[in-house]
Amino acid sequence: MNPPDPKTKKPVPKGKWVGYDVPDFAVTKAPDAQPKPDGIGLDALSGTQPFIMRADGRGWLFVPAGLVDGPLPTHYEPHESPIQNPLYKQQTSPVHKVWAPGKPYNKLAAVGDPKFPYVISTYRLTEHYLAGAMSRWLPWLAELQPELFIELGHDLAKEKGIKNLDWVVVSSPRGHIRAKALVTHRIGVMHIAGKRIHHVGMPWHWGWMGLSTGDVVNDLTSWVGDPNVSIHEGKAFVCNVEKA
Amino acid sequence: MPEPMGFFTDTTVCIGCKACEVACKEWNQLPAENGGVGELSGDSYDNTRKLDGIHWRHVRFIEQFKAPYDGRWLMMSDVCKHCVQAGCLEVCPTGAIIRTDFDTVVIQSDVCNGCRACIAACPFGVIDVNPVSGTAQKCTLCYDRLKVGLEPACSKACPTDSIQFGSIAELRTRAHKRVDQLKAQGVKAELYGADPDGALGGLNSFYLLIDEPEVYGLPRHPQLPSRNLTKSATFSAASAAVLGVLALVGLRKRRMDEQSRGGGGAGNV
Repeated sequence: MNPPDPKTKKPVPKGKWVGYDVPDFAVTKAPDAQPKPDGIGLDALSGTQPFIMRADGRGWLFVPAGLVDGPLPTHYEPHESPIQNPLYKQQTSPVHKVWAPGKPYNKLAAVGDPKFPYVISTYRLTEHYLAGAMSRWLPWLAELQPELFIELGHDLAKEKGIKNLDWVVVSSPRGHIRAKALVTHRIGVMHIAGKRIHHVGMPWHWGWMGLSTGDVVNDLTSWVGDPNVSIHEGKAFVCNVEKA
Repeated sequence: MPEPMGFFTDTTVCIGCKACEVACKEWNQLPAENGGVGELSGDSYDNTRKLDGIHWRHVRFIEQFKAPYDGRWLMMSDVCKHCVQAGCLEVCPTGAIIRTDFDTVVIQSDVCNGCRACIAACPFGVIDVNPVSGTAQKCTLCYDRLKVGLEPACSKACPTDSIQFGSIAELRTRAHKRVDQLKAQGVKAELYGADPDGALGGLNSFYLLIDEPEVYGLPRHPQLPSRNLTKSATFSAASAAVLGVLALVGLRKRRMDEQSRGGGGAGNV
């Protein structure tokens, strides 16, 4: 008798794979099925190798080789963070990349630096492509997102006396830029480790040529990357926001 | 004659990417406002703001939030409704606006004289003058593409199938199924313009909404300009009658005055 399906709680027919994982081969292949010696494709897999994306055909809890960090995932704070890591004494990943460490163009804020109290994320919009070198010249795309903006919550806007469409100055240890404010409840205050921390966001598609222009948001971002594929830590760093 | 064709726009799956706006402009070669140089509107992610002669598709962004992160961001791609009883078609004095073999409503740019009567007649504010042609323009439901068996550019470009193109009968069946599915999930979903007995005889571009129509900028009771006909005609007839009576009274009084002065008409010439 098979156990009941964990999703539907209904009894399942005998001779079928059930559960949260979906095998890549036919669901009716028995666990004791033997691979055919001259089999092609799924026929060459035994009944204990249901996952074809893995070299051994088995489900993995963690990656035993190939990564700089690991093997199990955990939580580290970004290099620039307003708080101490609430989970460990180890603040950031011990193996993450820092390019040009100590250089004047890659100054990094200390943990909880009061000069840069806000968390900022940078991202893209559907209307533009990468730094916008192509899309900001195209009238049909430029008119859809005509200027650089910073999205900030109503609470922060009130604290700083910023109204929708006001010019603001956004600064990080690397530099400062200007952008128009887009005040919204889509972004706001995070409560982390007992602290109330404002979060702001900026798309990074702008530069000063083309039809749609604005300051370069990557003047703010830290030159820090993840240990495995060197993805730039532009989703989480710190900044300050003031009315221009 | 082909079946009536149109759009079903399921706003619940719109992601606000504006691919429809760009695909429409590219296929129909519509210019960007001010050559593409503009200012941030400050109204969420909506920087084109409205449908007009050079924006035949427009994505609306509605932020409904009580507090930070507590709410929802509605998006809706809007377009000409291709009404079965179309106000623009009713008022066009030149016959430039026609009903096509696909039961869609098209403005023929070479016949339009730019009088703008249709702009005021549209209950949805869809039409405006294209500054390049100087004529009233709006969505044609890609009549040229339909003629060669292609679907309109916007629905072709829509990555989530929020905009679906097809025969109205099939789209209505699909739309009702989707409403049932959403209602089963506890979502307050309603169709706007899918009822052939409803306003304007049904809209050949109809919508699935999850809030009141007014939230999306749609009139709850769209009306035709001919709604004023009976009232205006009655007023006109009544005014004519009153003026006629007054004229008769006036003429009679004048003749009586002339008679009481003792003169005949002839002596005064």
